[in-house]
Amino acid sequence: MISVTPTNQQTESLDLDNLTAEQTAMEIRNLNLHYGDAQALYDISMAIPKNRVTAFIGPSGCGKSTLLRCINRMNDLVEICKVNGQIRLHDKNIYDKDVDVAELRRRVGMVFQRPNPFPKSIYENVVYGMRLQGVNDRRTLDEVVERSLKGAALWDEVKDRLNASAFGLSGGQQQRLVIARAIAIEPEVLLLDEPTSALDPISTLTIEELITELKEKYTVVIVTHNMQQAARVSDQTAFMYMGKLIEYADTNTLFTTPTQKQTEDYITGRYG
Amino acid sequence: MAAAKPSMGASNYRLFKDRAARWSVSFGGVMVLVALLLIFFYLLYVIEPIFRGVEINHQRSFESPGDNVVAMGMEEQSEIGYQFTADGEIIYFALQSKRGTDWQPGQELLRGQLTEQQPTTFTQTQPQNNRYAYAVPGGAVRLVEPKFINRFVDGEMQVEPRIGEVNEGKLIQVDPQQQDLTKLAYEYDGESKLFAAETVDQRVIVNFIQAKRNFLSGEVELDSKVSELPITGGIDQIRVTPDLRQVLVRQKNRFWVFDVTRAGTVRERQLITLDSRRFGQVNTMVLLAGASSVLFGHDNGKITQWFEVAGDDGRRYQFIRDFQAADNAITDIVVEYYRRTFYTIAENGDVGVFHTTSEAELYRGQPDGYQADNLVIDPRANTLLMREGNQLHVFDLINEHPEVTWSGLWQEVWYEGYPEPDYVWQSTSGSDDFEPKFSLVPISFGTIKAAAYAMLFAVPIGLAAAIYTAYFMSPGVRKVVKPTVEIMEALPTVILGFLAGLWLAPVIEDYLPGIIAVIILVPLAIVLFALLTSKMPQAIRSRLTDGRASLILLPLVALVGWFSFQLSPVIENLMFDGNVREYLTNELGITFDQRNSLVVGIAMGFAVIPTIFSIAEDAVFSVPKHLSNGSLALGATTWQTLTKVVLLTASPGIFSAVMMGLGRAVGETMIVLMATGNTPIMDWNIFEGMRTLSANIAVEMPESEVGSSHYRILFLAAFVLFVFTFAFNTVAELVRQRLREKYSSM
Repeated sequence: MISVTPTNQQTESLDLDNLTAEQTAMEIRNLNLHYGDAQALYDISMAIPKNRVTAFIGPSGCGKSTLLRCINRMNDLVEICKVNGQIRLHDKNIYDKDVDVAELRRRVGMVFQRPNPFPKSIYENVVYGMRLQGVNDRRTLDEVVERSLKGAALWDEVKDRLNASAFGLSGGQQQRLVIARAIAIEPEVLLLDEPTSALDPISTLTIEELITELKEKYTVVIVTHNMQQAARVSDQTAFMYMGKLIEYADTNTLFTTPTQKQTEDYITGRYG
Repeated sequence: MAAAKPSMGASNYRLFKDRAARWSVSFGGVMVLVALLLIFFYLLYVIEPIFRGVEINHQRSFESPGDNVVAMGMEEQSEIGYQFTADGEIIYFALQSKRGTDWQPGQELLRGQLTEQQPTTFTQTQPQNNRYAYAVPGGAVRLVEPKFINRFVDGEMQVEPRIGEVNEGKLIQVDPQQQDLTKLAYEYDGESKLFAAETVDQRVIVNFIQAKRNFLSGEVELDSKVSELPITGGIDQIRVTPDLRQVLVRQKNRFWVFDVTRAGTVRERQLITLDSRRFGQVNTMVLLAGASSVLFGHDNGKITQWFEVAGDDGRRYQFIRDFQAADNAITDIVVEYYRRTFYTIAENGDVGVFHTTSEAELYRGQPDGYQADNLVIDPRANTLLMREGNQLHVFDLINEHPEVTWSGLWQEVWYEGYPEPDYVWQSTSGSDDFEPKFSLVPISFGTIKAAAYAMLFAVPIGLAAAIYTAYFMSPGVRKVVKPTVEIMEALPTVILGFLAGLWLAPVIEDYLPGIIAVIILVPLAIVLFALLTSKMPQAIRSRLTDGRASLILLPLVALVGWFSFQLSPVIENLMFDGNVREYLTNELGITFDQRNSLVVGIAMGFAVIPTIFSIAEDAVFSVPKHLSNGSLALGATTWQTLTKVVLLTASPGIFSAVMMGLGRAVGETMIVLMATGNTPIMDWNIFEGMRTLSANIAVEMPESEVGSSHYRILFLAAFVLFVFTFAFNTVAELVRQRLREKYSSM
């Protein structure tokens, strides 16, 4: 039996059902999602608080990654995917017809499971998003690179070889580079889709420490299959099962006194 | 117990299968390499002889049967030689012993006295005309043409010499004033004879004799027209050309050219004084085979070649090139029957063998230490008969491909009659005097030109189609489109070729302004359409998915294309005075061939597009999704993701797609054969054709004689083509490897 003890207790707990507008980064309302005829998400509603780390946990296939990918509309790339319901960012439904998806994704960045640096130099990887915006001023870009790499705790390791290929970095470094690339364009929300599942324990630890620092400036949503990780890094945790949001609470509360039987079964390791 | 042990039988069988598979795969691989190497070495094996020099191998020596020899000759089989003496005798002798006869080398076979009196001078025609003339006192000439009768006796060919009378052995009066002749020149042509001579009283006369049949009596009468040339003070040499058009006279370093008309009138054309400081003193003058070039032998060992070049004031003889044939004075030059090879004899007995056009020095020195006073080549140019004092030496001469040199194949060559050095491919002609011109430059150029225009057409369309199919097209449509385009690759190119040659070429000729309008208007229409949709309100734009947009775009493109063709006659009338072809030729000076590079570009483009499409599509499609997703997640649009990440990552594959297409275009034969007009010209003009290496081989290989220079050069062309594709593919592979190192994703 695994014992999970939340370690991340420095943040005050919030009333997740009644967040003020200022406390809310995004709000999901009655979200249903179908892949063709199969329904993958059932009527999900939740609020994601600002400058906090929210974790989605649950067994494989429970829909936690799908939900994450709805938040910046990456699911649009899957042709057979249909979304009903709303996800609101600054009181604007991101699924409205007049939303510029590229602009949405600039504001809601995402880091994937596998490190995916572009076949470019470390420098060009970091400034990629800036260049997309048409920023080409060398000095601005230099500042962004330093700030982002420092923000991703990578600066000291790569500052001497910024023009080297990103492929020369280790897996953990690459994932931090990808995070640096994501924060270079200063998104409001950063979505992390199992960011450490392809990494070794030491790299994982570095990334986890980084996540804790990131919430100072960004709202972080992390999907993880690793409950200890959720317990370590998140402020609140959502447990999902079979496409449904079973329980959503302060990480402390969820791991110590779950209200749902399914949650308790999962965190005590009965399945998953 | 037994069951617990692994079964040895089964294990052996598995081992056997594993071994067998490994060996058969290795065998297949090795055989592919061996086949490639065999092709490579076979090509080299066929090509190699054209770069060999001359071999002169001594066979036998014997005493000369005649004294005071003025000329020698050999019959075609090199079995019998003959000599003319200064006393007017012809002597036939065996050159070798022969089965079925009692011949010994040097044995006299036949001897004939041709003149009753001591001849005053002697001359011979160009070797291929094979006639000899003695002048007898009184200004008359006795002609003779050595003849050989071939007979089969007991399955063995026996050659029997005959004197070979000309004009029934009667004398021909050359000088009507009946003065003795001191110099003589003679050529004939059908019924006409042209004599040029210097008389003992130093007149230089030209006598043009035509045989005319009297239509009343039926008798043949000789109509003689005599002219006197305005040259005084004695001459050194006089020659007439075999076409009876020119008389060439040399007086020390002065060289006159006189034109002779068909009516027999003579007119001075040109007088050249060879600068003795530049060229040295002239010792001898001969006409090269084909009689378009004059060779001068100089006292400094140089040979200079001169021929007529068209200029502002007509065709004039002009210095072309020189050869350093020996270190001391040239005494004689001997020319071959048909080729532009000549043999020099220097004062010290050195022999030189040269080819004029290829500027090749094939041999210099004394063959096996023998010194030449005199030499002669047989009609087939494989035996050399040399006189040294009263000894005769017979040599085997191996000189198969004097006209080919590496530099002649790749550099500009000044051919006879051309105004300047040029790259020319012209392998055959109807005339015996014709000199084949083998420059690989025009056909290599044609290959590159054809490939370049094809790529100009195929690369944008092939790559755009590949990118669209791999990146924008829905998977369902892609499943249909990709195999369809790939099937196009299996389309026999001969079909594309004849469609291009018989259908497309006339269409392009008729609708040239329309074709150009399509090239301009269609991309313009697409860009305008894109601009228009991007300016539409968001609500409409969001409904205009890629699929729907192409549903509108396709009819639009078709409409613009149709409109361009409708516009064609209008443009032609408004801008080109009703006829583009004439306008191009007359106003712009651009040649227009019906079979031109535009046709080839389009037709061969179609052949190349599937290759480029297929490989490039695979490359773009196999760019990992996590890379493009990573870009999209950073707020990139689809287009930005495509240009900044997908194409970069796919670049090795795209590059090899283009190079594979290029390799295909370079080696393509049927389309260029049927749609280019096969004109070996060097011009980037899109409205002119070209001849490619591959088409050249296909066209000329059936008509080339096996083992000839032409045949071997076609193999060389094949080798060059091989090297072309080999080089392209190697470069492509190297660059692809580099790109892959740089841009491949994990």
